[in-house]
Amino acid sequence: MATDCEMIRVEDLTMEFNRGQVRALNGCDLSVDRGEVVAIIGPSGSGKSTLLRCLNLLETPTGGHVYFNGTDITDKSVDIDLHRRKMGMVFQHFNLFPHMTVLKNVTLAPVKLKLKSETEARAQAMGLLERIGLADKAEEYPNMLSGGQKQRIAIVRALAMEPEVMLFDEPTSALDPEMVGEVLDLMRTLARDGMTMVVVTHEMGFAREVADRVVFMDGGSILEQNSPAELFDHPSNPRTQAFLSKVL
Amino acid sequence: MWWSDLFRNMSPANFFNFSFLPKYLSFFVRGVEYTLLLSVVSVALAVIPALVLALMRLSKNRLVRGLSGAYIALFRSTPLMVQLYIIFYGLFGVIRIPSSVILGFIDVSRFIPGVTALALNSSAYVAEIFRAGILAVDKGQTEAARSLGLGGWQSMKLVVLPQAIKNILPALANELVTMVKESSICSVLGMSELIWGAKTVATTTYKTLSPYVLAALIYFAINYPAGKAIEAVERRMRRGDRL
Repeated sequence: MATDCEMIRVEDLTMEFNRGQVRALNGCDLSVDRGEVVAIIGPSGSGKSTLLRCLNLLETPTGGHVYFNGTDITDKSVDIDLHRRKMGMVFQHFNLFPHMTVLKNVTLAPVKLKLKSETEARAQAMGLLERIGLADKAEEYPNMLSGGQKQRIAIVRALAMEPEVMLFDEPTSALDPEMVGEVLDLMRTLARDGMTMVVVTHEMGFAREVADRVVFMDGGSILEQNSPAELFDHPSNPRTQAFLSKVL
Repeated sequence: MWWSDLFRNMSPANFFNFSFLPKYLSFFVRGVEYTLLLSVVSVALAVIPALVLALMRLSKNRLVRGLSGAYIALFRSTPLMVQLYIIFYGLFGVIRIPSSVILGFIDVSRFIPGVTALALNSSAYVAEIFRAGILAVDKGQTEAARSLGLGGWQSMKLVVLPQAIKNILPALANELVTMVKESSICSVLGMSELIWGAKTVATTTYKTLSPYVLAALIYFAINYPAGKAIEAVERRMRRGDRL
């Protein structure tokens, strides 16, 4: 694979808590190319969310490096805020701002960071909301929305920053089953449009269908990564086999 | 009865003998005004330092956190009266404020040291109110704001503080109620607030009980309705809160 299309590279990433007594990440190496959709799967507590949250430094790794477009963002002298603008993130619990309308949620960052004027941001936000069929909710507050609507708006809020990559941290885990579909549909559309995505998920069907590559983690290590067809049908690592036999 | 002796001096006539009122009413009116001014100005002045202290307390830097912690510990663990004496004779023994009277009854050479002491004391308590209010906002809110590229202060200002204010305002109003009572300590330095007024009336008229009873009634008449109002506002805010 050509390195010039590599967007994120993670080198020997470790994450220790309680002065090394707990290791959430055990020297992980990972690379994500532009336009690629990478799904991270594995049992609970395997470190997948921690790894994802290290990609935009919401979690500060205790060792190793994260390169974004060639810049080592774990370097203390780097302005992480500038890089985070280009890395959208979607959370399990949506984390919409409850004291702002849907429209304000979406326009806040572009306007306050002076990337867009109020009118431009508004127009862009309305366009995005239109695309997900929630334009009529623009003036509502988040507490009036269903979980699925909240999560789709959280995705739109991240998209309003025009990110180069979208990080998803178990985006459907907090949703009622009947709302999972609408969120996955939106993510599928994003993937089809060529968005680079890193998705921590328990939705094996989604990972198999949408991901270009599936990464299996357990015990803070990446144990196996492969195309979905290979990984799901012919897992080579015994722990991957054990995990898949339980969830599939 | 043996116990009737105990109550000999406590007849209702003694308790509620407000015959001094026509002559000395102004001591109480002025006293209330002074007390309210003292407490409102002190708490208002405490807000900004308290916010700074609270943010310092939540800082990642250990030194910054420690400095704020030391300040808060110092002011919360020593009596207000001691702080008042030290600030009045220590700090304002060096910085002399010329005696002059404003609003007709407020001597600034006493008022300013008094307000300073109360505000410094209050900022320690209000800082803890801010800290608790900020910590009560879900961590995910900061994470969402930071993940959009907003800076630490912007996230605090635009996302966290507007949500924290709901937890902060009632507690801040309670602090004001507390301050209305606590400010009575300023009478020891001759600030002409409510207790000083009552004391002056008591010594002039030789009625040693009823002026204080009246002062107590006035404090109650201010603080009890205020407390109830705060509770009502709090209840309404909580109702609007359900997500």
